[in-house]
Amino acid sequence: MRNVQLFVTCLVDTFFPEVGLSMVAVLRRLGAAVDFPRDQTCCGQPPFNAGLRADARKIAEHTIRTFEGAAGEVVIPSGSCAHMIRHNYAELFAGDAIWLPRAQSLAARTYEFTEYLVDVLHVSDVGAHWDGALTYHPTCHLHRGLGIDRQPRLLLDNVHGAEVRALPEAQDCCGFGGIFSVEHPELSAEMLMRKIGNLESTGSPTLVVCDAGCLMHLQGGLRRQKLPQQVVHIAQVLDHRYGAR
Amino acid sequence: MTLPLLRSRIRASISNASLQAALDGNALRRVSGRDAAFESLPDWRERRKRAHAVRADVIEHLDEYVDQFIANAARNDVIVHRAQDAATAVSIILQIAQSSAPPGRQALIAKSKSMVSEEIELNNALERRGIKVVETDLGEYIVQLRGEKPAHLITPAVHLRRFEVGQLFHDKLGLPYTEDIPTLTAAARRLLRDVFLTADVGISGVNFGVAETGTVVTVTNEGNGRMCTTLPPAHIALMGMERLVPSLQDLALMLSLLPRSATGQKLTVYTQLINSPRRPGEVDGARERHLVLVDNGRSRLRSSPLKEALYCIRCGACLNVCPVFREIGGHAYVGSDGSIAPYPGPIGSIVSPGLLGLQQFGHLAQASSLCGACKDACPVDIDLPRLLTRVRAGGSEGTSSERGVGLSHLSRFGLHLYGIIGSSPRLFTISQFFGGLATRILSTSSDWFRIPALTGWGYSKDFPRVASKSFRQRFQPSEPLPEAQPAPPAISPPPAAVQENALPLVEKFTREAEALGVVVRRVAAAHLSETLINDLKQAGAAEAMAWDPIEGLDRSRLTAAGIALTGEPDPLLKVGITGAAAGIAETGTLLITSGPGRPLTASLLPDVHIAVLPASLILGSLEEALSRPDIPAASASVLITGPSRTADIEMALTIGVHGPKQVVIYIVE
Repeated sequence: MRNVQLFVTCLVDTFFPEVGLSMVAVLRRLGAAVDFPRDQTCCGQPPFNAGLRADARKIAEHTIRTFEGAAGEVVIPSGSCAHMIRHNYAELFAGDAIWLPRAQSLAARTYEFTEYLVDVLHVSDVGAHWDGALTYHPTCHLHRGLGIDRQPRLLLDNVHGAEVRALPEAQDCCGFGGIFSVEHPELSAEMLMRKIGNLESTGSPTLVVCDAGCLMHLQGGLRRQKLPQQVVHIAQVLDHRYGAR
Repeated sequence: MTLPLLRSRIRASISNASLQAALDGNALRRVSGRDAAFESLPDWRERRKRAHAVRADVIEHLDEYVDQFIANAARNDVIVHRAQDAATAVSIILQIAQSSAPPGRQALIAKSKSMVSEEIELNNALERRGIKVVETDLGEYIVQLRGEKPAHLITPAVHLRRFEVGQLFHDKLGLPYTEDIPTLTAAARRLLRDVFLTADVGISGVNFGVAETGTVVTVTNEGNGRMCTTLPPAHIALMGMERLVPSLQDLALMLSLLPRSATGQKLTVYTQLINSPRRPGEVDGARERHLVLVDNGRSRLRSSPLKEALYCIRCGACLNVCPVFREIGGHAYVGSDGSIAPYPGPIGSIVSPGLLGLQQFGHLAQASSLCGACKDACPVDIDLPRLLTRVRAGGSEGTSSERGVGLSHLSRFGLHLYGIIGSSPRLFTISQFFGGLATRILSTSSDWFRIPALTGWGYSKDFPRVASKSFRQRFQPSEPLPEAQPAPPAISPPPAAVQENALPLVEKFTREAEALGVVVRRVAAAHLSETLINDLKQAGAAEAMAWDPIEGLDRSRLTAAGIALTGEPDPLLKVGITGAAAGIAETGTLLITSGPGRPLTASLLPDVHIAVLPASLILGSLEEALSRPDIPAASASVLITGPSRTADIEMALTIGVHGPKQVVIYIVE
């Protein structure tokens, strides 16, 4: 039996616990033992991306310590946070003889959720069912940063009953970018409108992403404009069974 | 509270409908053009890795490569100057201009595109001394007439639409108002032709310097670059010291990537390889060539965490794919004093602060969502998002831990606080509790609620309530029920690589050249003179500038048929007839090397350029062509890929800017 250490991320923990619960349900259904190290907080990405590396280090060191005590693969429902650990920890701890190896050993056993399902568990059909149309938005750090694109698409293609509609200009950023959405609200808003416009053009009521940050950004934009579309995390789609709603 | 200058520029750009239309057009056309161009280079990923390695090697050993390059250029009789900073570079150029001026007046300078000249603010300095500088790239000419800076690395007038250019030409040049792009282009051709013919000095930028040969390489489409380096008596090549490649073979690699990334072309129309001033027996080419190598912060950048930014080959692809550039254009990238950054876009937000200081330009690096589209598009695989986070962390001035360059005070405070909360599970849990409380007070009924615009987030988005029970409160650590695992998925094989049609070289050459608008005529050797005479007579051409000799062509038969041939540059002649040193099948390119009897102007000044190309000289690739021994030996060579063209106004392709409007190639079999 696989031992999964869940790193649920600060946003899912705080704002979207149902995403985490869906992820746990899917993993357990596939036979994995799922554990949740209780001391976890955040990967440190917000201060890192802002250029505040000392603050980022404090959080990253805490994350490394927390998961060092937990055996098994670390699985994250966020491309962005997985990218932080896999690629940016090496930057953050560069030249540090103590922390760099510890960061690298965490990075080596860290996986994004869909990557874990497809590449590690070798699953392409989780037995999910969804009535109606879905549209997939490849989030930037997932598909560009980690090169993960085939996996979520494969999983969605195998969702029974779902009609997956292509999103125009799918690879364009939604305008979140962490602190960017606060520091440059005008730019963020333009990029958001463009993304929402492309979503509307598909006629799909549901947009699927693999990142809670982008989910929060897109859903916040849809709510502000009083639009009916829903943004969901892929775990929620994969957890959806026949007859449920 | 007043908005920082950058944000007010951003707002102005976003609300400028005409600018938005222009930028959308640029993004759409450039991105699709680039994608199409890379389809013809199936191994581009591997090339991109190699190109990265070449640039990394150059920057790592820059001192040695610069020394080698300078020694070889000097051996070629180029006068080499080194400038530590902008002021030195300006004064060197000023001196050359003054010593090149005819008695009794200041020098007239014809200038082709150079981003380094923007960086050192050369034009202003020259004009303050009463020296007239005329920008001759169509886009640069337009922005100079408007008193602006270029808005893009390779498309200076990207921010303008045709009606604005029409109005400008009407106001400043007294031309009848028109929105017809070919008419506007023809007007610029006519006006600038005089400048080329009378200028005392030509200034050009440099795309690459080749260390092993001392060659200066420029890549242009319109022909103005060739004019500026061929017609005026003195030529100054202005070059950032990092723009080197070790060898001509490395150059071939770079040339396979640069035009594709920049303009979606397999090769730009004119790729010049300049070795030396005019040599005895030659009738054109600058008599004096200067090379000004500029440091201006590059050495400091090289020993900083931003070193990789020096790998940049200035193709502008990262601007074209950038969602932020697409919203604001180049003029919104302003420094803290309001001046426009010389280098815009993602790479500019690293290079501008890297060269000219964090204080002035560091905050530009915050204007990115770190989406990574720039890194994907970069032909030399620069990790731009990483470098942007390094600028934010203090960049070239040391990644001091407390930097957060360009952050607002509120964000900085919030993130410091988050650093404390995020490293303590207890504080984190307590914050979740109070956050939940606060957001449920702010929004009693709905999961999403409105927050003020001044928070940044609230400008366009609602905010979610903190969950009433966090994940950590809801997680149940129970053991799973074992369930049958679904079978592993069938992995579909990767799509088969597209097989490049292995056409014979002549066919391939013909197809590529014709795609560019070149007229290709395939004739048997015995019929060449007769066919050419007939064609010339039909076109009504009774005189032409011609090489002497031209391989495969009996010139005496042309003269006997009443066609006057001259070897001297004459701007009044409409036809130029040349041979070629080689043809390149993969791009439909002619290689022309200068020498006695082979004037460069024959393929540049006339409206029609006729080239005689023996089929046996057609090579497969650029690499093969650049390994020919006559390239380092000639005073200058040029690769010609189609007729002169521009897309500087609204990205509309217009043929015949400064160079020939028509290219006719006779392939002799």
